[in-house]
Amino acid sequence: MKHRGKGIGCMWYPIGFTVAANPSAATVKVNEDGTATLVTGTVEGGQGSLTVLGQIAAEELGISTNDVHVVSADTDTTPMDTGAIASRTTYVTGNAVQLAAAKAKEILFEIAAPILDVKPDQLVAAGRKIQVKNFPQRSLAIADVALQAQFVHGRPPIGTASYNPPTVDMDPETGQGQPFSTYVYATQVAEVEVDDETGEIDVIYMSAAHDCGTAINPMLVEGQIQGGIAMGIGFAMQEEMLFDGNGLQINPNLSNYIMPTSLDMPDLDIDIVENFDPTGPFGAKGVGEPTAVPTAAAILNAVHDAVGVRITSLPATAEKILRAIKQDRIAGQKELSTAG
Amino acid sequence: MDDKARVGERKTAPKSLPATDEALRLPAVTKKAMFPLETITAKPREQTPSVGQRATRHDGRLHGLGQTKYIDDMSFPGMIHAKIKRAGVAHARIKSIDVSEAERMPGVMATLVGKEIPVNRFGPTYQDQPLLADDIVRHAGDGVAAVAAVTEQQALDALEKIRVEYQPLAPIFDPLEAMHEDAPKVHMGHSNIYSSKTVNKGDVEKGFADSDYTFEGTFSTQMVEQASLEPHAAIAEWDPNERVTLHSSLGRITLGRADLARVLVMPINRIRIVATVVGGNFGGKNEITHEPILALLAKKTGRPVKGVYSREDEFISSTTRHPFIMKYKTGMSKEGKIMARTVRLICDGGAYCSWSDTTLSKACILSAGPYNIDNLRVEACAVYTNKTMTGAMRGFGAPQVCFAYESHMDDMAKELGIDPLEIRLINAFREGSLSPTGQVLESVVIKDSLLMATERFGWKEWKK
Repeated sequence: MKHRGKGIGCMWYPIGFTVAANPSAATVKVNEDGTATLVTGTVEGGQGSLTVLGQIAAEELGISTNDVHVVSADTDTTPMDTGAIASRTTYVTGNAVQLAAAKAKEILFEIAAPILDVKPDQLVAAGRKIQVKNFPQRSLAIADVALQAQFVHGRPPIGTASYNPPTVDMDPETGQGQPFSTYVYATQVAEVEVDDETGEIDVIYMSAAHDCGTAINPMLVEGQIQGGIAMGIGFAMQEEMLFDGNGLQINPNLSNYIMPTSLDMPDLDIDIVENFDPTGPFGAKGVGEPTAVPTAAAILNAVHDAVGVRITSLPATAEKILRAIKQDRIAGQKELSTAG
Repeated sequence: MDDKARVGERKTAPKSLPATDEALRLPAVTKKAMFPLETITAKPREQTPSVGQRATRHDGRLHGLGQTKYIDDMSFPGMIHAKIKRAGVAHARIKSIDVSEAERMPGVMATLVGKEIPVNRFGPTYQDQPLLADDIVRHAGDGVAAVAAVTEQQALDALEKIRVEYQPLAPIFDPLEAMHEDAPKVHMGHSNIYSSKTVNKGDVEKGFADSDYTFEGTFSTQMVEQASLEPHAAIAEWDPNERVTLHSSLGRITLGRADLARVLVMPINRIRIVATVVGGNFGGKNEITHEPILALLAKKTGRPVKGVYSREDEFISSTTRHPFIMKYKTGMSKEGKIMARTVRLICDGGAYCSWSDTTLSKACILSAGPYNIDNLRVEACAVYTNKTMTGAMRGFGAPQVCFAYESHMDDMAKELGIDPLEIRLINAFREGSLSPTGQVLESVVIKDSLLMATERFGWKEWKK
């Protein structure tokens, strides 16, 4: 017989390294036509981080995502970056990118201010224009300003900056300190169906609400959450490296080490919790790792709700669940017989 | 089917394939795909302000057309291939390594053993890991020798001819047994415990005394591999000015370069690392693996040397997610408020430290969950065992402790007769809450996320 259950998993997760310095630097160059090049030492891991960094540079310069070309990951040419680790790219590298773009923009503002007859701090960059604050009719195209900056004033608009999240050492005895600059929060809720004759779990549906500060690119945040849940399902129910008595792995291949496929994915509803972190670039924090954190907890709590057994060791394979259900029944019968 | 029948079958096959089948045959050289120069750009990429736009990825078009160049898609003139021989024993002293027969194999251009590596130790926290085991093998996936040959198959064939003589040492696989004083030691030293962390907040004894109920639970998790689609891959090439370039799937190139400089004893400015779009990292590509081996083989042969891990290499020799044993004890008021908690974490670190120290710190801090707990004590340690080393993997200890603290939470909710959502809302952090390390938390939205996810799910209305 199949039983349905629901379960919650919620979590918190920090952005960046634990106490240790993990800086990033970035360079932003505004070209003569108002487009820009971002140079970063981070490596694209397939999650779309370079797109997000390009969006951050574009936002600061008031241009579009497509106007920014991103060059990355060559130690001869790109500036120092701690890399794609610890869910830090959007927050740490993003902050460096925003600061670098702001420096390049400062040069553009200094060129534009006398033409518009205002002070540089009265200017904003938006819609590919440099405008007088609260007076958008008075503006210059960024392309024109960039061209003048380079060829008339001899000041190519380039900015380089770095960022390192502020932390405070942890006391070795008590662990008290400020190990991280900021944290994100998330909840995932699972609906499962458990077959009490086979022990198989079917994850039918999950809802996920993740905080990442400002979502620089909501589509990529959703992609991360989908991927994280897939990884969480593998962790919860399938994946395990198994060793024989001599310490040799017996399943070092993808035919015996079982991972979730698209067919194992439940229906998903994804929400991004509205939030703004003043220390992040445009209020952003991060989302990479946290997406895989609460999935197993939500699924196993739903299994508990469905068939009343608590699985305390992962992965919750069908065999393990069936064994737990049988033990639960035997225990129940004993209770009945002693009561009777 | 016997041989004769098969021969007979072949005779009856048609002399040439029909034209339709010819068309299905793959050409020897893939036809260069032609793309329109005018690319279609999705609107959100063109719009300002750019933040908040659902902009498509700049590399999406390449992925969609199958044109992304990963390391294994790259080739250089004269390039040869390297393979690494794995120990296949979990714990042993290496008495001798004989590569002479392997060097005489067809196509073999060079071999490398650990003793030839200038500084054969690396690691992000402790430099406890050899690039190729030179003295002691500490897990079955340890590399013991490498071969560079004209083709990958020739390199693989030559690995079979490498003779390694081992003196077996007693292995230890179970982290709890490894903590015993008299357990075999994976590394020199008096203990297999190589990292310990504590977090202390408030007065735990008083907290338990003030509690109406006390609950306990023990949870454990397994060893998991990142299993990126793209395995570890790199190509090393030297130029005549003694400068080495590595094209690598490494996710942290700046620090990778510093590690290379240290193990090769070279100035940093003579090393270049170029990364491509990485086909999945998830923490598995956060440190150097075979890059120095490829660099040294390239130097020996004067040829560019490519190394690509097999799926088996990925499993047995690269980092994995730490198995955890987690003991929880929580004191509760009858209203469902957490009064005190103690947590004990034991992390199976495998044969080398890698990122265990960081994983342990994060797990320690996060193990209380996103809940206000005034009285908390967490004690955690990482232990060496003779298994594949554990390191960075998406979550750094968080998926393990989250499974434990959330399972524990539901068990307590059930006993107290409180709804799982309710008990979380009672205890969840709010703006300005103090974290386990005494940090004032800002931009806290755990309650919002709980309400949002459960409302979307239909938690209250949901019926079995």
